[in-house]
Amino acid sequence: MISELAKSELSMSDLAAKISEALAGADLVLGWTASGPGGVAAPARFYEQAEAQQAVFDSTCVHNLAVHLPRLKERRVGIVAKPCDARAVNQLIAEREIDPGRVSVIGVECPSMVDVKTIWRRFGYGARIEDDGERLLVNGAEVERGKYTPAKCADCADRVHPAGEQSAAVADVTDETAADERQLRERFNAMSPAERREFWREQYSRCIRCYACREACPMCYCRDVCIMQSDESRWTGGGVNAGDAEMMQLIRVNHLAGRCTGCGECERACPAGIPLMLLMEEQNRVVEELFGHRAGVDPDARPPLLSFNANNDGWRKA
Amino acid sequence: MRFITREKIQDLLEALASEAEVWAPRELNGSGGSIMFERWRSGDPIAFEGVTTLSAKDMVLPRTEKLFGFRYTAGTGNLLAEALGQSAGQPAKEKGEHLSIDPAEPVAEKVLFGVRACDAKALDVLDSLFNRADGSGYEDPGYRSRRAGLTVITIACTSCDEACFCSSFDNGPAEKAGSDLIFYPVDTGFLVEAVTVRGEKILARDEAAKSGQLFEESMLQPPALAETARVEGTADMETLLPAIFADLDFWERSTASCISCGFCTYGCPTCHCFNIHDEMRGDREGERLRSWDACMFHIYTQEASGHNPRPTPAHRYRNRINHKFSYYPENQGQILCTGCGRCIRGCPAGLDIREVMTAALAHARGQGST
Repeated sequence: MISELAKSELSMSDLAAKISEALAGADLVLGWTASGPGGVAAPARFYEQAEAQQAVFDSTCVHNLAVHLPRLKERRVGIVAKPCDARAVNQLIAEREIDPGRVSVIGVECPSMVDVKTIWRRFGYGARIEDDGERLLVNGAEVERGKYTPAKCADCADRVHPAGEQSAAVADVTDETAADERQLRERFNAMSPAERREFWREQYSRCIRCYACREACPMCYCRDVCIMQSDESRWTGGGVNAGDAEMMQLIRVNHLAGRCTGCGECERACPAGIPLMLLMEEQNRVVEELFGHRAGVDPDARPPLLSFNANNDGWRKA
Repeated sequence: MRFITREKIQDLLEALASEAEVWAPRELNGSGGSIMFERWRSGDPIAFEGVTTLSAKDMVLPRTEKLFGFRYTAGTGNLLAEALGQSAGQPAKEKGEHLSIDPAEPVAEKVLFGVRACDAKALDVLDSLFNRADGSGYEDPGYRSRRAGLTVITIACTSCDEACFCSSFDNGPAEKAGSDLIFYPVDTGFLVEAVTVRGEKILARDEAAKSGQLFEESMLQPPALAETARVEGTADMETLLPAIFADLDFWERSTASCISCGFCTYGCPTCHCFNIHDEMRGDREGERLRSWDACMFHIYTQEASGHNPRPTPAHRYRNRINHKFSYYPENQGQILCTGCGRCIRGCPAGLDIREVMTAALAHARGQGST
């Protein structure tokens, strides 16, 4: 179950120890090693205790490894998880997709991630990224951290691990508000419904239906029988064109109502740079307002749109 | 060599745009740096640096292509009689039903400016399947007409990033196959070389113009090209890869992070698998479309019985590697990869095809000699 959190700075030897410990009762542990290009972290699997020494956790650990859990159902799995990742684990448990008895979470405090994708778009793939917590360096030169902080981190309202610990290091990030994504969100919030309709029409016209958004999403565990790609009955148009792609995207948004834990992986995975989290977060906010529910906070909570509770006022407000 | 200044590129494209659609790379607003091939119109900016997120494959194999429209019509035109079931139970022909086909629209001539050699070479690789010069093999009218109407102007690469590996597989930063004209970037503009008759015609037309010539002679030397060779030990990969086919444990470990999205195949300039599907409007009319498919999708080999011979990401990745580096070379005589690196840049899980290949080849060699 959710194991004890690391206090203050998580040293790498603490992490290795926790992974080793988890391996005593698990077949494998999902985590990261520093084996990506430019020294960034890459997802890895630890099978033997000796391998745990190579584990790292830093601000380039952008991936949500909970996405692998549904495919590993028949094994006992440990997972190194940031707060947003742990929420995804909770939500998978709440939906009874994974067995909490076969998953152990190694919670880590998150220093806020660095937007590796945008850095590599601007500086070239594999540019060296170094972050000592104070300065962010790309190819040895300092860059403005606010420009390369993912919006989900800049706004991380609960920079609190679901089990309740606050991370001091992350609190400073909210002061750096220059992120492009935050400006986009402000612009979006100021739009009228008609303007928003046009905005999304233009954005979704770039969708190529690669389904990276779906595959990166821990909640889209229907992936292999997804309605948006179904051949056994053709529920939506299969063309890779604006109208069909828009339909697909909107179905996805709807299917995640009350279930999206805000990890932002869909947006990170999207090769066309569509700001998918804009609509997801708007929906998350509405669900919280109507039903008082945030996905992934409580593994025992029943998601409001997957259950019926006659006592819940939300249905009347909606 | 001929030479054109950077400032005159807009004039060149305008001249070409008078006879064809011009497409060029452009950074999309608010996309975090995505560069795509977009229709170019006078005054539009062009992204000369970097490489597009998606390849130029769209020009010959569109994401969605209408093959034809179709409509069933009652022969008598008497829909009421039909609705009352007066013709029920008879075969369509006897009912007087007709099927009319609306052919696809003719394809516009296109000029593709600013591709990289990896994309241009990929057209050549696809030609060996869809468009054999000797007319043998598979005939794809849609591909052929698009390919015939496409002029390719390539910009050679003088720099590259960590994901580029074009020199690894029968390719290079100024590889000529697939291009009509090659532009070599130098300080103030580009040195220009014609590769095909089509390319020569463009230069000749400019030379023949009485005034406002865009190209001039230059004694400048072509620039040093980017160095991109990255993958070692690929000799015999055609036979080495199948040798470890059955070792699923290896494939699972080396591709564990793969989340099986379709980006690598969609972004790839040589991946060409497609789906044909009918999209109906009601019962009587619709369109037959051909759209991109990806071997990384779970349903790619899903059979009607419910069985799927490639049920896991590891199975599918194994197939992808084998198709590109073993089956296609064996069947078509070309490697189905031009080292553009898009699969690496775009992979959300950080997988690198070069690492998998290197590990697979080492594993195959370590398994004992053949």
